[in-house]
Amino acid sequence: MNAGKSVDEPLSEVLTPPPAAPPPPPAQVSAGVPAAGVRTEARAPDGEEVPWQRLNSRLALVDATRFVLTILPSVLVTVVFGRGFDAWPVLIASALGVVVSVMALRRWLTTRFRITEDRVEIRRGLLVRKYRSVPRDRIRTVDTGAKLRHRLTGLRVVTIASGEARTSFKLDAVAKEQAERIRDDLLGVQRNDAAQPEVPERAVEETLLARLRWSWFFYNVLSVWAFLAAALFLWSTSLTLQMFDVDLMEIIRDAIGWEALGVGWSIAVGAGGGFLLGTVGLAISFVKERWNFELVRTRTDDGTALLTRQGLFQTREVYRDDRRLRGIHISEPLLSRWMGLAETEVISTGMRWIPGSDASSAILPRTHVSEAHRVAVLVLGDEHRPLRAPLRAHPRAALYRRLAGTVLTLGIVAGLLAWLGATGALVRGLWLIPVSLMPVGGVLAFVAYRSLGHTMAGPYLVARSGLIRRATVVLQHRGVIGWTLSQSLLQRALGLKTVRVSSAAGARFYEIPDVAADEAVTFIHGGTPELVAEFLADRPAGEPPPDMGHENSSS
Amino acid sequence: MPDTSYAASPEQTREPLVLRPPRHRIERRAILMWTLNALIWGILVVSGLGIAYALLPDTRPWLGPVLVIFAVIYAVNIAVMPTWRYLVHRWEITDQAVYALNGWITREWRITPISRIQSIDTRRGPLQTMLGLATLKVTTASREGAISIAGLNAAVAEEHSHRLTEITQATPGDAT
Repeated sequence: MNAGKSVDEPLSEVLTPPPAAPPPPPAQVSAGVPAAGVRTEARAPDGEEVPWQRLNSRLALVDATRFVLTILPSVLVTVVFGRGFDAWPVLIASALGVVVSVMALRRWLTTRFRITEDRVEIRRGLLVRKYRSVPRDRIRTVDTGAKLRHRLTGLRVVTIASGEARTSFKLDAVAKEQAERIRDDLLGVQRNDAAQPEVPERAVEETLLARLRWSWFFYNVLSVWAFLAAALFLWSTSLTLQMFDVDLMEIIRDAIGWEALGVGWSIAVGAGGGFLLGTVGLAISFVKERWNFELVRTRTDDGTALLTRQGLFQTREVYRDDRRLRGIHISEPLLSRWMGLAETEVISTGMRWIPGSDASSAILPRTHVSEAHRVAVLVLGDEHRPLRAPLRAHPRAALYRRLAGTVLTLGIVAGLLAWLGATGALVRGLWLIPVSLMPVGGVLAFVAYRSLGHTMAGPYLVARSGLIRRATVVLQHRGVIGWTLSQSLLQRALGLKTVRVSSAAGARFYEIPDVAADEAVTFIHGGTPELVAEFLADRPAGEPPPDMGHENSSS
Repeated sequence: MPDTSYAASPEQTREPLVLRPPRHRIERRAILMWTLNALIWGILVVSGLGIAYALLPDTRPWLGPVLVIFAVIYAVNIAVMPTWRYLVHRWEITDQAVYALNGWITREWRITPISRIQSIDTRRGPLQTMLGLATLKVTTASREGAISIAGLNAAVAEEHSHRLTEITQATPGDAT
């Protein structure tokens, strides 16, 4: 069943009205044109329209094949195995597949795109026209990928993303050579035109920053997610096998020998088996996605870019313009911190921020934290070593605030449960659970306190915080577009302030909780002295501020 | 702990730096605005809950305490919040930056360089229009960097909005 795998509908989200001059009709490009040979990005001389392009015609063939493949299981189940409508999951899957294929075919028929001197435009639909355009200088990343079906037919999917989350294009699909030309054209990648296409990308000026190591395998494969992956796999397999009168659960029960082992051992064996199965699944997906992983810095027309390249069946290439680079973000999950697991992402402007290893900001698979630091130095590429800079610990009061928060939260929950127990709405005695959790909460509060730290290192600010995920943020001072200091009554009593760094890059703001109150001002002054200096008090600390009266007019 | 100063220059003093409050207070009428606002919401919420309490006897065991809690919250909000806010709120706009101090239980100092401002708007709700007040809102590319200055004289807000627009157009940003 290969149903409903990818509904590529990137255009349905935003409907931009066409510009003042409506785009010309598409009919000029005949279906017979070998798309691979057309240089779409050819810039027409002034006054002449750049012709609209169709997606590659081989795509129609792919869609037709997909259509046949999706109805095949239904035909098999209903005709060969003689089952009627009991086989509804298969039928639904096929129906879904048919819809997807027909939509894909329609998409191929109605989509036109063109790349002109100053913008990329895409147009869809026959009755309801959808038009979207992005100016060239707004384009941040161009990502070429290929699913198996694209790869078999020599096609590539080109995703063109601008800073705004909602304006991304997907050209699904164009010929491989055309995809490369579009990418190079839009990103201005320097390419020696004399070089034959067979010559690998190394022909371009590139420095290798990291390459897949098989030791990373364990960081990415050993995970609690294995259980979930296994459960999903078992559930879907057993559902499928039910179509053919096979009870998977019974087979497993027999294989384990449920009665002989007893409940405890059965659960242990089941969990162990599930973990193993899930791990194998994760291993397969790791190999498939990360095969030949490389992180390189490559030269473009007007600068450099970080490029990741990976994938066994699908090659995924992501370019990240170095001019937009503002820092590095390393996060270490609590449960795997003992083995040094870290996720590495770049903080860039104009890039959507989706935490996780699949986001285009992620420049490495999960690795050991030392590798993350090594790569961070290469990515930032200067003599400062912000990640090596010793972090300032936060005052003890930050620990007290965390402990107070834990006790207060658990206390309120306990109080509520006790009250609900007394009124009879809930079982009595539930309030003991939050109370007994207090020691655990205390330990977690201490762990959270220990992860707090901040400093300035050359042109970077470094901040670390977080309990479930300890995140270390390295941000260039020029990436700072504002500061917020905040102080609650409790923080005031404890002499603490929380610093928030606003940025146009990465997660858009980063928080440094519970810095000593006067240290907070010193910190933001260290980051952007020219901004903060004019608001500093020129008298010693402790004196009451002079009352400025209530003049409201501008000074 | 090593040195407490981040600056590389040796003449940097080691004594702790302190922010001075922004230069201007907001209009005194803002107290009235916040009071009326809190009053309207308080009446809506508490009377809504009160009606439910009166009409639905089944809910009384748990709705009673909830009603009391909301009544207390709104009483504090009406009695204390407006004046407290008025005493805290301050603002200042220089040629370099917008600087504001807001809040009551939690105070917040915000500094945004003018070169990073993306949009400036003034907002006036019905209450503000009645009292001749306006809110000046300055937005940057970060969703956290926005600064709102509430309770300004409408004319002053308008004037600053124009001035800021002029300055931002004259200041080259880096388009991020």
